[in-house]
Amino acid sequence: MTTRRTFLASLLAASATPAVGWAAVGDPTYLAAAKLANGSYMLAGLREDGSTAFSVPLPARGHAASAHPKRAEAVGFARRPGTYALVVDCRDGEVLHRLAPPADRQFNGHGTFSPDGSLLYTVEQAVEDSAGHIGIWDAAAGYARIGEFASHGVGPHDLRVMPDHQTLVIANGGIQTDKWDRAKLNTDTMRPNLVYTALDGTLLESRELPDFHQNSIRHLALRDDGLVGFAMQWEGEPGMAPPLLALHRRGEELVICEAPLGDELGMDGYAGSVAFSGDGSEIAITSPRGGRIHRFSDSGRFLGAVSRADVCGIASHAGGYMASDGLGGVLLVGPEGARPLARAEAAWDNHLVPIAV
Amino acid sequence: MRYSLLCCALFSASQAVAGVEEALSDHILPGYAGFAEAAEVLAVTAEADCTPAALRDPWNAAFDAWTEIGDVRMGPSETGALSVAFWPDTRGFTPKTLSRLISSQEEVGTDPTDFAEVSIAARGLFALERMLYDDQFAGYEADSYACTLVQTISADLANQAQALEAGWREGYAEVLRSAGQEGNATYLSEDEALTALYTQVLSSLEFTADSRLGRPLGTFERPRPTRAEAWRSERALRNVRLYADAASAFAHTLADWELPLTEDALARLHDVADRVEDPALQDIDDPSARLRLEIVQQHVRALHDAIEQEIGVPLGLTPGFNSQDGD
Repeated sequence: MTTRRTFLASLLAASATPAVGWAAVGDPTYLAAAKLANGSYMLAGLREDGSTAFSVPLPARGHAASAHPKRAEAVGFARRPGTYALVVDCRDGEVLHRLAPPADRQFNGHGTFSPDGSLLYTVEQAVEDSAGHIGIWDAAAGYARIGEFASHGVGPHDLRVMPDHQTLVIANGGIQTDKWDRAKLNTDTMRPNLVYTALDGTLLESRELPDFHQNSIRHLALRDDGLVGFAMQWEGEPGMAPPLLALHRRGEELVICEAPLGDELGMDGYAGSVAFSGDGSEIAITSPRGGRIHRFSDSGRFLGAVSRADVCGIASHAGGYMASDGLGGVLLVGPEGARPLARAEAAWDNHLVPIAV
Repeated sequence: MRYSLLCCALFSASQAVAGVEEALSDHILPGYAGFAEAAEVLAVTAEADCTPAALRDPWNAAFDAWTEIGDVRMGPSETGALSVAFWPDTRGFTPKTLSRLISSQEEVGTDPTDFAEVSIAARGLFALERMLYDDQFAGYEADSYACTLVQTISADLANQAQALEAGWREGYAEVLRSAGQEGNATYLSEDEALTALYTQVLSSLEFTADSRLGRPLGTFERPRPTRAEAWRSERALRNVRLYADAASAFAHTLADWELPLTEDALARLHDVADRVEDPALQDIDDPSARLRLEIVQQHVRALHDAIEQEIGVPLGLTPGFNSQDGD
């Protein structure tokens, strides 16, 4: 029988358990989810050389994972509708916590930890009207939900803590979805925005696209000096070949990064992930639909394309970028082109998530 | 049936090699060589006589040749195909750019080498279609800027065709052949190369169903006949047939077994296409004409499904994991 005293004692014991760091699971640099040939799902840790540091089973296909900056712990968000998120122990895949959004909300893609790992921020939208919210969870206290604030936009998808550690940047995708069938309701009138807030949710700055308002702002990349890159997905008429990447610095205008028309058409109106290169001098987006990676300078000049079928995950790497794809490939993409690092008998899912250690 | 599928699975590894080589030497490389030849004829003809009357036949022959490989979007053709065949022109770039070139008589329109720098919308087969068939452009005199422009676009097209042919023969063919070998970052295994080729076949048929036919069909309330491909030259239906023929021929190179469902589906597609009355598809405001075109669209999809059934299933090829997924 559990008495109050034994309960408290066990609670104390649990919180006193030394946190297991990433070194304990083979020192991975990235997290990546994958579908295995037998139809099951896994979460893996990858090293810079493409080797696998760990892999643990996942109960279902997730959308994106967030890596705790210190503990070997990952949060996987359910695919749409985001009714749950799982905190997974990367040693064995054990589900440590199951997070559920408030009743009238759904998780909407990504989440991110505060730099010290104490808080988890999640992007959420109201089921009723897709209004965006940021949920705050106490990662030090069993992921208790401790607060929330508005994302100042519709259908947020990604967010990050800025390098000043005092500001959040939020990608509000702008898409309103039907509460029953998740059909997109407002693609004619959508106005996605890039939003900066203080950690208490105070709106600091909001930017809308100068044109191509049907370009949903989906994914974010950050550079140490506060330069933000965001990748977009086109919701307008096919064949319009809109630019799919933009750069932004607080207080300045957006820099829209455009590739030549033929290259832009090759992306099929879709960028799946975005990352700065290891030295920060350039930024790249991926298109699994086009099977292409587009590289741009940090001032927005097109540098070139790399072709690789079903490529989607991309992250900074000392040699440029590391990219992952649905054929199981892990590639190093540098200024001289791409080089294969590893090939898994698995389909790598949307994102390669850097582990900040 | 089950037995034959098992057979296929058992020797699929060796077939993967044969499929890539046969696709290259029986379909892709001869396709680009044929297009290069036809584009050269067009350019030479234009040099002698730039008028629409003289150029419509060789232009059509070049377009016919293009359909053999026109939907291949990999290697040199990944973006290279777009400056040969810029369609659909959703933002109306082609007439805009041509008008600008002509009204200000831009120097670049007189030099085939410099012309490679012009917007891809003003290059290739569809720019020429405007010049040869569109009333807004086709009335030019033999010694006009527009006449020189047509010669320039034709010469640039021949240059592009030659570059594509060489790019494939001397470069990208080897990337496919060396799939899975050390340092090949495009294809990490032989299967990946075969899958990439197979995907080209299916994408072509999807593009025909969704865009070549889907764009003009629009909605029942609002058909959009002028969104058909190459309607000015009345090639819209011909292109649907030729691209389907090419997809089917391409598919045959990927398999060294019979493809009866595919052959049957192609034959039926031609049968239903025979019933379409306007080769430019401009009659689809009429519900019965529209219905006939919808039936063609269904048969393009049926051909797609047959190829999936007869090649994709036995080889265990599946569409991309991430490319099928929105996020």
